[in-house]
Amino acid sequence: MSDLRIINVEKQYKQPQQKDHSAFSLRPVNLTIHEGEFFSLLGPSGCGKTSLLKLVAGLLAADNGEIWIGDQNFTRVPSEARNFAMVFQQSLLFPHMTIEDNVAFGLKMQKVDKQQRLTKARDMLEHVGLHGYGKRFPDELSGGQQQRVALARALVANPRVLLMDEPFSALDPGLREEMRDLLSRIQLEFHVTVLFVTHDREEAFSLSDRIAVMSQGELLQVGSAKELYERPLTTKVASFLGMKNIIEGQVEDGRFRSADGSFELLVDATIQHASSYLIIRPEAIQLVSEDAPTPATAFRFQGMVEQMKFNHGFYSVNVTVGKSLLTCSLTSQQADTLYAGKSIILQIDAKDAWLINE
Amino acid sequence: MWQKNKPYLLLLPAIGTIVLLFFGGLFDGFLKSLGYFPALGQTDFNITAYRQLFSSSEFWASFNLTFRVAFLSSVFAAVLGAALAISLFMLKESTNGKSSSIWHRLFQLPLTIPHLVGGYIIVLLFMQSGFLSRIATNLGFIDTIAEFPVLVNDSFGWGIILTYAWKEAPFISLMIYPVLSRIHQSWRDVSRIFGANRWNYIREIVVPVMMPAWTIATFIVFVFTFSAFEVPFLLGVTYPSTLPVYSYQLYTSGTLADRPEALAVNIILASFTVLLGLVVYAINKRWNAVKGWD
Repeated sequence: MSDLRIINVEKQYKQPQQKDHSAFSLRPVNLTIHEGEFFSLLGPSGCGKTSLLKLVAGLLAADNGEIWIGDQNFTRVPSEARNFAMVFQQSLLFPHMTIEDNVAFGLKMQKVDKQQRLTKARDMLEHVGLHGYGKRFPDELSGGQQQRVALARALVANPRVLLMDEPFSALDPGLREEMRDLLSRIQLEFHVTVLFVTHDREEAFSLSDRIAVMSQGELLQVGSAKELYERPLTTKVASFLGMKNIIEGQVEDGRFRSADGSFELLVDATIQHASSYLIIRPEAIQLVSEDAPTPATAFRFQGMVEQMKFNHGFYSVNVTVGKSLLTCSLTSQQADTLYAGKSIILQIDAKDAWLINE
Repeated sequence: MWQKNKPYLLLLPAIGTIVLLFFGGLFDGFLKSLGYFPALGQTDFNITAYRQLFSSSEFWASFNLTFRVAFLSSVFAAVLGAALAISLFMLKESTNGKSSSIWHRLFQLPLTIPHLVGGYIIVLLFMQSGFLSRIATNLGFIDTIAEFPVLVNDSFGWGIILTYAWKEAPFISLMIYPVLSRIHQSWRDVSRIFGANRWNYIREIVVPVMMPAWTIATFIVFVFTFSAFEVPFLLGVTYPSTLPVYSYQLYTSGTLADRPEALAVNIILASFTVLLGLVVYAINKRWNAVKGWD
């Protein structure tokens, strides 16, 4: 298997001239990206994801660590000899070349003869939906089309790994979705290993087989979108993934008790006495009637509706429970009976409550 | 009405002076080259001066020398200027511009030196009794200064070529450098990712991008050296002389009868320049080299 292995790769940047800013460092990263996998590095701006991508590409030299693909060590291989491809935030097409010359650039560098490379370039342009655009110049194409060309340029040389640095962030939302669909289709078709950098949770979740969450130069957690969303290992990951209901408390004698005393629920008995955070996903909270029977594994609590916001076909409802504010997602049908100030009963299943010990 | 025409009226003295002195002089020269010389009692038009020039071996020797000097000066200046500009550009890329500005200023130094002074520097450096020949003799590379090659006041025109190559290279780099600085910093990364080494990057990206500015700058240098007077006058030989010097020699020969020929040389120079301008314009247009820039 030609897995991409990033072994203890680290990078320390020089101290910036402004003394109040400390030097950024990428802590040792260990990752294995499987052949044909779509892997995303997700994190806020400045967390080191682009640095890691550039280290993999060979555009930056690592202070320590190694990059392997299968049984080949690429650590000392110059960027131009790695046969990787990259799509950047901007299309970065060469303006003095036609579209097909831009696409064929990598093949030209590999000394593929002109006829063959132009045929391949035209073929790849057809794959990205730009048949007949080959003779045009980049400034004659829209932003979305230019990014399709950048994708074609990256794929045409059959790269070992396709690196993508926030490639759709400069596009408008509609176009971004269109490009995501195109990328998904093409990645499956060409079975290319993709290392994708983004700060957009939605983008990472919709495209990736696995995601690594990064923050301040550190890899926090690696997993599938579902694993990360349902089982975040730290409150930092949970916050970055947009978790709303993070409740601070203590675990004592097999029970979690929130700091303000408004929540108390049974947890796994093996959890030792510890400061903990309870995470409840908004969609895991159910609105129930007072007389409905309570399942053995469920926990009920009373709250008051604070605010309701309509959001893409469902309602995001803020409910005050004791001193805590919870957000829950309710259907329009459920929300129809609610209004600000109304007292309601909410229920969660114990398996949907996720506890983080920090 | 007054407000609308005010700018044009304000420009009128300057435009009037230019038209009178430049185009007036050119037109007067053109008339005289056609034999219209009332001072000599000649008021009819003919092409005798041109016919005499084209049938004279002196003119063709002069034309060949002028073309050779202008061509070689332009080629050397173009290569040197491009090398300077690319070196500065690569230096800026690799050091994030920290030390390149000092080099930039240093390379621009010849621009501040007048042509005549530049020519004189070449005389001092390259003549057989100049600095370089003396250094070479003292270091034992040659036995006597007479063995040093004749590079100044030589019939080939090496002294003139050296002066212009040295003097115009910074001009060419000055014309190219702003174009190069438009090159996106990430293009180097892009080209590396797709397999381009430094040389490939220069050949595939940097040179095509600077080509339009480069050709135009080289053309300007060619036209300038083709019609320049002072350096060939200082560093050239009496025969063959470059066309501007030949024109001067005819004009100051002592007989008014040579003046139509002298002015015909100037008209030929001006026509050749215009013709070259049109050729370069057509090439650039067809080349479409600026296509694709935002």
